Amino acid sequence: MADVIMEAAPIAEAGPSRRDQLVDTFTSYRQQLDLENERRERLIILSRSITQQSKKVIFHLHRCATLPGTPAFDKNIQTARTMVQKIVESFAQVSAELRDTSDAESYWRWYRNISPGLEEFIESISFLHYLEHRQLITCQEIQNTLKEEGPDDTLVVVTPDDFILGISDLTGELMRFATNALSTGDAETPQEICAFVRNIKTYFDGIPTHHLRQLSKKQEETTRSLMKIEKLCYETQLRSIEYDGRRDVLAQMSRRDVEGYRDQPIEV
Amino acid sequence: MATGAQSGGLPSDAVPISSGTLRETRLSSVDRALGSVIASLEKEQELKKAIREAMEPIEDISRRAASTLNDIHSVHGMDHRAIAQRTLDLIEQVRPLWTGVSTLIPAGEFYRYSFAVGPTLRTLTQLVAYAIFIIQDALAPSHDVARHLGVQEDSADGVILTADDYLQGVIGAINELPRLSVNAVTAGNYHLPLRIASFVNDVFASYSQLNLRNDVLRRKFDSLKYDLKKCEDVIYDLTLRGLNPRSADVSSAPVSRTSAPLGNTGSSA
Repeated sequence: MADVIMEAAPIAEAGPSRRDQLVDTFTSYRQQLDLENERRERLIILSRSITQQSKKVIFHLHRCATLPGTPAFDKNIQTARTMVQKIVESFAQVSAELRDTSDAESYWRWYRNISPGLEEFIESISFLHYLEHRQLITCQEIQNTLKEEGPDDTLVVVTPDDFILGISDLTGELMRFATNALSTGDAETPQEICAFVRNIKTYFDGIPTHHLRQLSKKQEETTRSLMKIEKLCYETQLRSIEYDGRRDVLAQMSRRDVEGYRDQPIEV
Repeated sequence: MATGAQSGGLPSDAVPISSGTLRETRLSSVDRALGSVIASLEKEQELKKAIREAMEPIEDISRRAASTLNDIHSVHGMDHRAIAQRTLDLIEQVRPLWTGVSTLIPAGEFYRYSFAVGPTLRTLTQLVAYAIFIIQDALAPSHDVARHLGVQEDSADGVILTADDYLQGVIGAINELPRLSVNAVTAGNYHLPLRIASFVNDVFASYSQLNLRNDVLRRKFDSLKYDLKKCEDVIYDLTLRGLNPRSADVSSAPVSRTSAPLGNTGSSA
């Protein structure tokens, strides 16, 4: 019973003063949280802007992608390069926002907020690279574009996660590209893309799910894209036997064949 | 890789249209790009695993501290402070262990790997805040908790207790208090529910000052009002029966505990 009385004592004294004290401490927590939220918002806005710009690059590339070797194609690629340069300028803003001079830890604290934009950028630049060189861009090559003039001034770090997720999205673009290519009578490109995407998928299949959780959903999408490409190849193969030596007829058939695919909305 | 180059001798299942050599170089670009990136992904995984392993002794202490503090429900009020102190002493043992974690993390990359540290930091914050409430009847501020744990409060080399982790941890402590309030009544301790209700009320008012966005902290904050209600319900039950030591005459409170309480309801409610 003695303890009951003993414990009663602090209530009377500590009551009001404790609340005043708490108001002070929580005012400072509020300021801190507000600053953090504002910075997060600014980064999310930048990320969205980068996503939009990257989507524009991809749409732009699709428009003229099927005519390699023509002046129109070269001009298209050139314009895309200029657009990419503009995006890199946005990344300079991101870099300034991520790097707090007073806080050495700030970069990794906030970088997740930029990931959606960065992934979209990787998708667009890897598609551009593929159209130019018919090769898969490396993580290092992307890293090299995200640098300032100086030799060692990385704007944003491209992590393996970002790279893999961005490349996973690239397979969807390649499917669209293969479909469009076939519609112009180019039977070779779909075959090539088929092997290319299949190889990428095989690599990604080897990544354990717990290493990169977001990948498994994207792999389903990649599988669907690959199956569409394979169907295109299958149909071309059958036609090439039926109309052997009559490429012009084949091209016409293909054009008709892909109309079903083309009507699908492009989701990037 | 060299075998595909001779297109003349290809078997019939090879794709007839494309040139083999070119195809090989293009495919090898995939090997080059993905081989290296998957290797670095694996390296990162190993680092994450090492960090998780370095956290294990800290998590052990955290669990032991939690079970020590849990005894508070089953002992008499007099021993509450002793249990809380024992919990704090136990938690202090984590102080030297953080270096095992922070040496693994590359400089400036704490937040890249903080996902492995955050949950434990929040649990430890919860325990410290709980124990300090029992001992001092106060809310331990962030720097106090950081000092108890032996971590940094803001950016510096080493493990950092962020405002967000701290604020979530404190709510974790508040979530435990309604249960303590109920069990205190069972044990015949009618003062502790008052202390708890007043504390939860103050903390709730404090959190209401924050501009929260839709995230975990916001959801946890939403849980506070239920805790507050539960704590106030206990006070109501006590008051209804004339057991509230504050509303009734303090000297009469112990008496009403043993005698039939219903006679007092009219005056105290």
